[in-house]
Amino acid sequence: MLRLIFCLNLVWLLAGCDAADHAREKLVITGSSTIAPLIADIARRFESQHAEYQVDVQSGGSSRGIADVRRGVAHIGMVSRGPDSDEQDLQWYALARDGIGMIIHQQNTIAALNAAQIADIFTGRIMDWQTLGGPAQKITVVNKAEGRSTLEVFLKFFALKNSTIKPQVIIGENQQGIKTVAGNIGAIGYVSIGSAEVAIAEGTAIKLLPMNGVAASVDNVRNGSFPIARTLHLITGAKLTAAARIFLDFALSPAVHDLIEAQYFVPLQR
Amino acid sequence: MPRQYPHEVIKHMHTFRDRLIAWISAASVLLITLLFLWLVLDIFFKGFAGLHWSFLTSAPLNAGRAGGIAPVIVSTLLILGVCMLVCVPAGLATAIHLSEYTVRNPAAARLIRRSLDTLAGVPSIVFGLFGASVFCDLLGLGYSILSGGLTLACMVLPFMIRAGEESLRSVPQEYRLGASALGFSQYSVLTGILIPVAMPGLSIGLILGIGRALAETAALIFTSGYVLRMPESLLDSGRTLSVHIYDLAMNVSGGEANGYTSALVLIAILVMINTGARILTQRIVHEVHI
Repeated sequence: MLRLIFCLNLVWLLAGCDAADHAREKLVITGSSTIAPLIADIARRFESQHAEYQVDVQSGGSSRGIADVRRGVAHIGMVSRGPDSDEQDLQWYALARDGIGMIIHQQNTIAALNAAQIADIFTGRIMDWQTLGGPAQKITVVNKAEGRSTLEVFLKFFALKNSTIKPQVIIGENQQGIKTVAGNIGAIGYVSIGSAEVAIAEGTAIKLLPMNGVAASVDNVRNGSFPIARTLHLITGAKLTAAARIFLDFALSPAVHDLIEAQYFVPLQR
Repeated sequence: MPRQYPHEVIKHMHTFRDRLIAWISAASVLLITLLFLWLVLDIFFKGFAGLHWSFLTSAPLNAGRAGGIAPVIVSTLLILGVCMLVCVPAGLATAIHLSEYTVRNPAAARLIRRSLDTLAGVPSIVFGLFGASVFCDLLGLGYSILSGGLTLACMVLPFMIRAGEESLRSVPQEYRLGASALGFSQYSVLTGILIPVAMPGLSIGLILGIGRALAETAALIFTSGYVLRMPESLLDSGRTLSVHIYDLAMNVSGGEANGYTSALVLIAILVMINTGARILTQRIVHEVHI
């Protein structure tokens, strides 16, 4: 028993000693789980060039990023949409673009849907693919969970209210949406075009639908012709620490464009 | 007046029923084993190709699609270590109190047990939010291995206490009475008889606790965090294997292959730790019985 107490004390001592060694300035970034993997990679490159800083990236959702920056818990927030009217107290920096595409099962014969048809499907006015000239198959509406930025972009584009949507499945992340639609022949959902393109290349049984005659592809998001898209943002409070300023300059520079493309997002031309 | 069946028919009915029960139980065992095998083999076949020594010793690259999981393994083991350092002594002590010292106050014991059972059923995300507000904010530990380990300890403790208490209470009362008659002190009874005899049950509690701790994701995203750097102290944020697998499967397009390999590593670690725990407890039991 004495040995155990001794060991415990040792651990606490070690923890304490190490804490005293931390001379590097710590920068905390929290928010959107869509952006977190990208910023984690950017942070690693940043650290390799600026040994005096340590950048901790935490995930948890856009709403969390906003709340953490407002509370002063995080220096920088990650938000995968544009600012709302009540969010003008924050400073917004555009990081990259991400297109949102409608996906259906690969074996579904539907080739295209217009905005009115999609609105009718999601509000439950059209319940069967047959109505739209497709197979006799009930439609499974896959919607995103409350608080997800993709949901807000989707609602805004189709001028819908979340309370009027009648979903059969509610999902969180993009990959979950892709897996849900691939596993259900009557399903329709919407996800980030980049991740859908990767899934299709890997042989996942989904297909992306064009919108207003424009194919849902990363190329069309890049050239601005695809209509449903969002801008991924970094946010800060009104005052910036020196470290946050240096990191922002780095993250918004062309030096990270290869990393942005590696996560299937579209870098912004400045 | 119930119908009278000839003796042979009754005997036949009995053997039929007995066989049916034996059959059903054998079939369920088979089903469960098959499901488990399926799961393990699925992970094995999809994950084994990516399993190289370098995967275990290098840092992740490109959001985890490339590179290894060395910092993730270290963070996982550190968080588990913190959790167990708190859980094992505190859990054992509480279990001993509940089984040995609450005889005079059964009402209090009942209340404690009810609370523990309720706590055991609380979703882990609630523990995550609790841990985030108490350990990260209130105590100022921030996103850290220490916060994550302590949050896990809160989550796992109810399981370990209840398992420990049940196994201590299953020690026959005669052992305690005999020891008292011989004038043993309470301390000797505990360390010399009760704990060794209850050890197999205690080790099951420990193994279940370790399993639950290693499987946890929701509570840890908010406490130990998401950072992929090699931890330098217990106050650094670090990502566990489960959080890493979750992120690769849910957030990182094209991360599935490494997700499966990480899952394989997680299962291997779980098996190794469990085997270690079992060997250790067997040795303790063995020592006492000689």
